[in-house]
Amino acid sequence: MKTKLGLFILGAGLIFMQACTKYPPSSERLLEDLAVITQYDTKIDFNNYKTYAIVTSITKITDKDTTQVNDQMAQNVLAQIAKNMELQGFVKAADGVKPDFGIDVIYYENTYVYTYSYDWWGYYPYWDWYYPYYPVYYSSYTAGAANIELIDLKVVDTNNQKLYLRWNAFIRGLLTGTHTSADIMNAINQAFIQTPQLRTSAK
Amino acid sequence: MKKIFTVIMLAFLAMGYVRAQEPSSSLGFTPSSYYTFTWSTAFPIGNFHDWVSQPGPAGFDFGGRYLLNKGLTVGFNFAWQRVTKLYEDETYTIPDKGIAITANNYRFTWMCPFQAVVAYHLVPDKIVSPYIGLGIGGDYMEHHLMIQEYDIYKTYWDFSLTPEVGIMAKFGNFSNWGGILAFNYKFTTNKVELYEKSYDNLQMLNIRLGIAYIIR
Repeated sequence: MKTKLGLFILGAGLIFMQACTKYPPSSERLLEDLAVITQYDTKIDFNNYKTYAIVTSITKITDKDTTQVNDQMAQNVLAQIAKNMELQGFVKAADGVKPDFGIDVIYYENTYVYTYSYDWWGYYPYWDWYYPYYPVYYSSYTAGAANIELIDLKVVDTNNQKLYLRWNAFIRGLLTGTHTSADIMNAINQAFIQTPQLRTSAK
Repeated sequence: MKKIFTVIMLAFLAMGYVRAQEPSSSLGFTPSSYYTFTWSTAFPIGNFHDWVSQPGPAGFDFGGRYLLNKGLTVGFNFAWQRVTKLYEDETYTIPDKGIAITANNYRFTWMCPFQAVVAYHLVPDKIVSPYIGLGIGGDYMEHHLMIQEYDIYKTYWDFSLTPEVGIMAKFGNFSNWGGILAFNYKFTTNKVELYEKSYDNLQMLNIRLGIAYIIR
């Protein structure tokens, strides 16, 4: 009797333990999905800004080197960003005129490299950009991530040689799944949709 | 799910009917206790349904009951359950930090209930023995929000009440084994608080189907 009970409890326990996986079995598939993460500086009023300039190529960072990408896809991405900026009320600065915002786009093809500094069109050579907030959600990422950065060129910290990042959009998962160019364009649109604060009515 | 439920119900009712027609519908012995091991499916309702709107068939329950007298039993239940659902293209925000995240995401809750149970068997010495019971205890719950490799979660302990109705059908007059089918409603003081989503007093319905080992 006691032996049977023991076997029953043992068997039940073994089945129980086998089935006790806490995580859903298909949760790994999330790595293949695109995620759009945005953060804006809550302390500024975007109505104080009107004009922007955008880079003419995308900076691509891999484990080996950093290059500029200027192919058709890159141009489509930049055009989509510009289109969304226009929809939010911003206008492209005329050539030779200092814009309120500069937009840079960086594509990370490697993993776990985060920091990147650059000289901004020669305006402020060798200065660092600076997040006015701590980007807790961006400390690491999977391979294939694009970062759209909206840099304040109107208000700069000349004493500390800092440029302020007022908004950025991180589109993650570009290499871990199969994504069409339409998916990427939709992700760019989503970045603006989920930041309704990024809008200006300045004349 | 409804079809499965109906089939299970009919099977148990048929089993009970067949047993009731046997010349001797009484057990050949008086049970002193029994242990149950059941597969359980949770159906989140109310606030809990707003968090995960899908039944969770991943669950097991182990319990023991000790007969006091005249059908009154006391015992315990330990369980493991998970409800989960994939939500597509949802946006989560953290307004004070200006953060918004849009992605496919898994929401799931992992539960480990433990309860003291009082149950009353209407005809404890019969082959088919319906019962009503009440579980009082607590749960350990983890509420997870998974986006890509991020797993954001919070854990809570709670107090819970679980009224239950069930039926235990022995496999023969002298068999130590039986089947058990039970339904319960569970109220907990547990809550989900992730990003702007907040749900309290999580509730669910459970259906349990399994085996019982009966000790003389």
